[in-house]
Amino acid sequence: MADLRISALHKYYGPVHAVRGIDLEIPAGEFTVLVGPSGCGKSTLLRTIAGLEDADKGTIEIGGTVVNHLPPRSRDIAMVFQNYALYPYMRVFDNIAFGLRSRNTPKNEIEPRVTRAAKMLAIDHLLQRYPRELSGGQLQRVAIGRAVVRSARLYLFDEPLSNLDAQLRDEMRSEIKRLHQELGKTMIYVTHDQVEAMTMADRIVLLRDGNIEQAGAPLDLFEHPVSRYVAGFLGSPAMNFVDARLVGSDGALKVALNDGSQLALPPKRAEKLADRRDQSVTLGVRPEHISRAGQGETRAGLARHSAVIELLQPTGSRTYATFTFGGTRAIAELQAHDVSAVNERVELSIDMNRAILIDPATNRVFA
Amino acid sequence: MDPGRVSLEQVNDAVSSLPAPTRAPFGERSFKYLLVGPAIFVLLLIGVFPLVYLLIVSFQSITMTEVNTDFAGAANYTQLFADARLWQALLHTLIITAIALPLELVLGLAMAQLFLDRLPGRAIFIALLVLPVVVSPIVSGATWSLMFNHRFGPINQIIGWFAGRETILLWSINPGLVYPAIIAAEVWQWTPFMFLLLLAALGNVDRSQLEAAAIDGARWWRTFSRIVLPAIAPVMTVAILIRGLDLFRLFDIVWALTQGGPGTMTETISVFTYVKGFQQFETSYTAAVALLVVVLLSMVVMYLLRKMELAR
Amino acid sequence: MTTLARRRAVLALRIAAAVALTLVFMFPIYWLFMISFKTAGEIYAFPPKWYPGQFNLDTYRVLFKDGDATTVGNSLIVAFFSTLLAMFLGFICAYSLARFSTGGKHLANWIVSQRMIPPIAVVFPIFLLYVFFGLVDTYIGVILLYTAFNLPYVIWMMRGYILDVPRALEESALVDGCTRWQVIWRVVLPMCRAGLAATTIFTFVFAWNDFIFALVLTRTEVATYTVQITHYFGGQSNFWGKISAMSVLGTLPIFIVTAFMQRYFVRGISLGAVKG
Repeated sequence: MADLRISALHKYYGPVHAVRGIDLEIPAGEFTVLVGPSGCGKSTLLRTIAGLEDADKGTIEIGGTVVNHLPPRSRDIAMVFQNYALYPYMRVFDNIAFGLRSRNTPKNEIEPRVTRAAKMLAIDHLLQRYPRELSGGQLQRVAIGRAVVRSARLYLFDEPLSNLDAQLRDEMRSEIKRLHQELGKTMIYVTHDQVEAMTMADRIVLLRDGNIEQAGAPLDLFEHPVSRYVAGFLGSPAMNFVDARLVGSDGALKVALNDGSQLALPPKRAEKLADRRDQSVTLGVRPEHISRAGQGETRAGLARHSAVIELLQPTGSRTYATFTFGGTRAIAELQAHDVSAVNERVELSIDMNRAILIDPATNRVFA
Repeated sequence: MDPGRVSLEQVNDAVSSLPAPTRAPFGERSFKYLLVGPAIFVLLLIGVFPLVYLLIVSFQSITMTEVNTDFAGAANYTQLFADARLWQALLHTLIITAIALPLELVLGLAMAQLFLDRLPGRAIFIALLVLPVVVSPIVSGATWSLMFNHRFGPINQIIGWFAGRETILLWSINPGLVYPAIIAAEVWQWTPFMFLLLLAALGNVDRSQLEAAAIDGARWWRTFSRIVLPAIAPVMTVAILIRGLDLFRLFDIVWALTQGGPGTMTETISVFTYVKGFQQFETSYTAAVALLVVVLLSMVVMYLLRKMELAR
Repeated sequence: MTTLARRRAVLALRIAAAVALTLVFMFPIYWLFMISFKTAGEIYAFPPKWYPGQFNLDTYRVLFKDGDATTVGNSLIVAFFSTLLAMFLGFICAYSLARFSTGGKHLANWIVSQRMIPPIAVVFPIFLLYVFFGLVDTYIGVILLYTAFNLPYVIWMMRGYILDVPRALEESALVDGCTRWQVIWRVVLPMCRAGLAATTIFTFVFAWNDFIFALVLTRTEVATYTVQITHYFGGQSNFWGKISAMSVLGTLPIFIVTAFMQRYFVRGISLGAVKG
């Protein structure tokens, strides 16, 4: 049975239609990430699930029970907030125990449960401290501890790592993932960071303007995006998009760019797209699928393209090279030793097996 | 953003960027009315009812001698406009306000400037200077009455030292001295209030602006008038509003010092109303006067508030 | 003059000014206290002596013997209960205004406007009303009026302080199992402690020091110390000793409270400017 089922959910903020008819089903034990840019409705959706906001239309079911009219405390949920939401005038122990005490848990149960949760998060030595004495990472652990101690059915995370620096974020990401493995509970995690989404999710739900743009396993969305929005959101650096045209004769379709160059499509793909000849397309290629052309090497589907390097951003093992691609600025992910200087002209090899083609009118991916 | 620490302001920024719930969720809709209910009830009882009652009574004809609840037309109101004593009372109130308020403001500002920077024993000084504010105005009036006493009061004695001879000034009777006496008591009591308010405001002035001005070579007065004053203007406005309102309602100090005398020379509008209502028992007329006062005050306040809103 | 010497001179001047100011402002209070310890003979001596010959408590004894000192007790009862009521009703009302914007701008503006009504306009019809209901010279009557008069101030100030409490704290408590009522008292109240203290002091001092309401609405049973003082005003001669002693009896408690809560009092005034 699904632990969470949302049907035709709508939510308005005054005139703003924040959530536009969302249907979602989350099976028990799954780690689902709601991801999208600011304003896409992910936080609204989470808060509506939690009961902190009223749904205007549609139903929310948790564990088979419709909860629309239930207050947050009756929905069997626990929540971790972006800004920790710890009570500054209580010690860590009391912060974690707060939920248990509010539900009149017998006194002799509270201490062992709090200690166990604290040990799980490696903060058991901080139980007698006050929040002001703790660092950001420790505070976030306490916030998670407070949620974990309650053994609720559903765990909600509202951008918990946004306030931490990069290193801490990496650390906490694995912590939360490990926690999920240990507890096996259903977790819904909201973030705007696509790296968090990719690394943590069993399933990603990518939102846009209050709608679900695409939902599925991370690699699914990454390799088979349904729209330009999805393709451009996941992956860093972002996918390159270039305006082009499909030209050519039967069986040999090429992608013609504005600068005159043409990139041949592999025959297997060209077959399926015969009826799209002479149409404008948007070509999408990920930086990691653009490499320096080896000498004389021609694998099927690799198209050559000559370009002048305009900017270099070395990161150690890889170097991101900016070049003009069909009139647009694009980035290629090259090996560090593949390119040495700006203004150098290089031969690039573009993997047309992995490139995607987008209909510019609808921005949907058709190939 | 500081990676480890999140300040309250940052938290609030994050939360306030979320749109506020348009409706309270879940049956809290009725709860929220329950919360404001009792307070509103009490306020209505004491706030709205009296005004309505005043309105009704002012159109009747109730005095010390007769209780006539028939509709008496606007007789009380016409009497009101012709009543010289009433308008003089308003004038007296205005005069006191016009003199005391600027005095308190300037003095308070000077004191705030004095105590702004570090000073040994600063906390003790401030703790002592706050005391006049917590004294009851009637006690303040009584104390100054004591001090101004023509025979046993120290004020005359001190003046005598300067004048070189025995001074017997009748502060609470001499027409030329009653106003200074009242104003002295009032300023003594409330300048510390202004002082505290302005001290806080001065403390909040952006230090980097002052430093930039210093580097640019601005002298003290220029910095003060161009940077400091505009920065504390909002607080000053609030202070003026609060104290101005209080001064308009002045009763206790006048009552203690002169009871509105000599004659009716120092009768403020509150004293006048009290006398008419509780000594002469001209109930209906007093109701009309009271209503007039409320209307006048509301108009002034609304005008000022609108001006402040626009200025913001 | 070197800069250091100039700075020292300025500092010395400032200290001198501070001392002078403090002396000037403290002098009336000193005089009041001092008079209360003088004997009748000393008070009416001419020229006036600036210090009592001895620490004389006769006037105080008379006040206690005559039962006049109980008026301070009345002030305490009236101020205490009205403050309690105003803070309780005002706090929950402020919460509703802050979190739910109950009544929108109109309610908020109306409440603020109540603060501006001059006491004299209120006390007169209230007096008539109280006569009708037999509430004159009763504790309830005075407490009710003080509560009503303080409510707008309490509501306005606490609303500001509640708005400063991060909403996430309350939401977390709601998810964790608290009802809204529990959230108000267990989460929001502790977070507002400072503002609460400042507002409470102000409210209490206002009720304690009030004169005009007490003058009109009390007679013999509930007379507060402020009214009692004016009983000693005579036409020709005032009982200065009793006036000053009664004043001291009424003022000393407030001085002590302010001394302890000085921090909050000062903060209350300064923050009042920001939120007013």
